[in-house]
Amino acid sequence: MSLLAVNGVSKAFGSLQVLRDVSLEVQPGQRHVIIGPNGAGKTTVFKCITGLLPADSGSIAIDGTDVTGMPAHSRVSLGLACTFQKTNLFSELTVEENLHLAVTARKPYRFRIWKPLSWYEDLQRDTRELLQEWDLWSRRRHRVDELSYGEQRILEIVLALASKPRILLLDEPTSGMSPAETARTTSLIQEMPRSVALLVIEHDMDVVFSIADYITVLHHGEVFLSGPPEEVRGDERVREIYFGGGARPHA
Amino acid sequence: MIGRLSGRRVPWPGVAVLTLLVLLLPLVLPPFGVGIATEVFIMAIFAMSLGLILGYAGLVSLGHAAFFGAGAYTVALLGQYVFNTYLLLLSATAVAALLAAISGALFFRSTGAYFLMLTLAFSQVLFAVAFQAEPITGGDDGMSVVAVPDLGFGEIVGELGLYYMMGFAFLGCYLLLRLFVASPAGKVVKGIMENELRMRALGYNTFSYKLFVYTLAGAMAGFAGALYAYFNFYVTPDLLGWVLSGQALIMVIIGGVGTLLGPALGAAFFIVVQNYASFYTEYWALVLGLIFIIFVLLGRGGLMHLLRAVWNRTLPSRFREREDEMEPEEPAAEHQKERTP
Ligand SMILES: Nc1ncnc2c1ncn2[C@@H]1O[C@H](COP(=O)(O)OP(=O)(O)OP(=O)(O)O)[C@@H](O)[C@H]1O
Ligand SMILES: [Mg+2]
Repeated sequence: MSLLAVNGVSKAFGSLQVLRDVSLEVQPGQRHVIIGPNGAGKTTVFKCITGLLPADSGSIAIDGTDVTGMPAHSRVSLGLACTFQKTNLFSELTVEENLHLAVTARKPYRFRIWKPLSWYEDLQRDTRELLQEWDLWSRRRHRVDELSYGEQRILEIVLALASKPRILLLDEPTSGMSPAETARTTSLIQEMPRSVALLVIEHDMDVVFSIADYITVLHHGEVFLSGPPEEVRGDERVREIYFGGGARPHA
Repeated sequence: MIGRLSGRRVPWPGVAVLTLLVLLLPLVLPPFGVGIATEVFIMAIFAMSLGLILGYAGLVSLGHAAFFGAGAYTVALLGQYVFNTYLLLLSATAVAALLAAISGALFFRSTGAYFLMLTLAFSQVLFAVAFQAEPITGGDDGMSVVAVPDLGFGEIVGELGLYYMMGFAFLGCYLLLRLFVASPAGKVVKGIMENELRMRALGYNTFSYKLFVYTLAGAMAGFAGALYAYFNFYVTPDLLGWVLSGQALIMVIIGGVGTLLGPALGAAFFIVVQNYASFYTEYWALVLGLIFIIFVLLGRGGLMHLLRAVWNRTLPSRFREREDEMEPEEPAAEHQKERTP
């Protein structure tokens, strides 16, 4: 059974039909990359999967459980996590405090109202492990808005990982990064354990082909093509869509 | 409590200072000052409860007096038949909590100015009910409170007795809030204020947290209202009105949004200015208004900000306390690593 199954999802904003009958599947451990020109509806697919936006029709299942009508937080407890295309952090809090919030989300004491949060030893430990693993430990006392853009993008991923997801959705993890940061982030993504399946939106073709083992091409809100990287790479029509019209210029 | 914190920073010197203040204040106050201080404690609880949802949850309410008044009327109405003070206080708190839970659940779909208008409308509905139900509530004239506070060691009738009752109630509420804002749920609420979308994506049921904090604030406001009924011996529909809600907002802003003690300080400031300035001028509201404008123009922080600057400059560092932080000086994790080879 696939870990994530999106089945015939459609979504409109007013009269603008953004998604038409989109279906895709993510297998356990898979690195599934979604590509497509600007405005194709990639981020909207993510929002429907996470439940941050309701789909108009179609269904979504996580590991066989139908989550179509479920609120976002219930989907997280089934093992789903996501990052945002536009960096979306707690910018006035420190790196450590950001992690505390992310780690606490899956702790049984998240509803407790007396013992101070900072006294929970397992919270401190989990936070430290994540920060050390992702090279942010030395920055833990800094406010997020003091971090470099690249560091903020990394923190974006670390927050999502804090819930120990089985499926991680990354929305353009390398966008806006310098070539060096992109290379580093790409290798960090490649090193992620296969216990986490990845669904990644990415524009940078070098990044796409260095992580993907399956690719879905989205065009005008429809799945245009999907298959293994070799198949997609060789497809003339994909080149046409991607490089022919409306592709974003890359730095 | 302090005993089991060995190795951690001594928490809350503020609590000890406040307790001493409550205990010793009557020794230095002029005779009429005790009554004013008693009122300050009550309004401080009210203002702190509003400060909680405003400064820690980002919910701007212009109808917080609804809960205060509901608590006060509960004591006035129920106090005709029930005399146990604990029971009355509990009922008033419960009624206010229930009203807050219901109205919160209905209103959270709206945000910003719409939420503000809905809270205002809700308090006006309660106001209208108290105003219209004359046979029961005395309508516009209000009604007197026959219940006399008795906490188990005789009726509290003297001024000093009331002072200590309200003083300890204030300390209790402060302690409760201090614990809450540092707790997991309290931190989550603050996180939701900062970035609700991200909190949802992280897996939090943000609605339930917001509802909880709103209910907690409503309950505390109701508790303050109940105390006020005992203090004032009389309740009127004004206790539910938007003027009182607005005054509470002023207290919070003058005192300092985003701090716990700030709103209490703002309440003290407000009540004292109201009492003293009204001695000298009938334009006391104008005086307060001007002070309010100055504080808003000066930016965030309010009185609490000023006080903290002085505090940090005069006290040795180990007694310093960062608002709502009780962290060890060094991360606990590092100590642990050293201990376990
Ligand atoms: N909340 C919204 N309200 C109205 N229209 C929206 C909304 N969100 C997205 N859209 C529109 O839906 C279309 C698809 O947007 P989406 O963000 O999913 O595209 P995308 O494939 O992620 O593009 P990009 O590569 O630029 O990130 C766009 O035309 C966008 O303007
Ligand atoms: Mg997008």
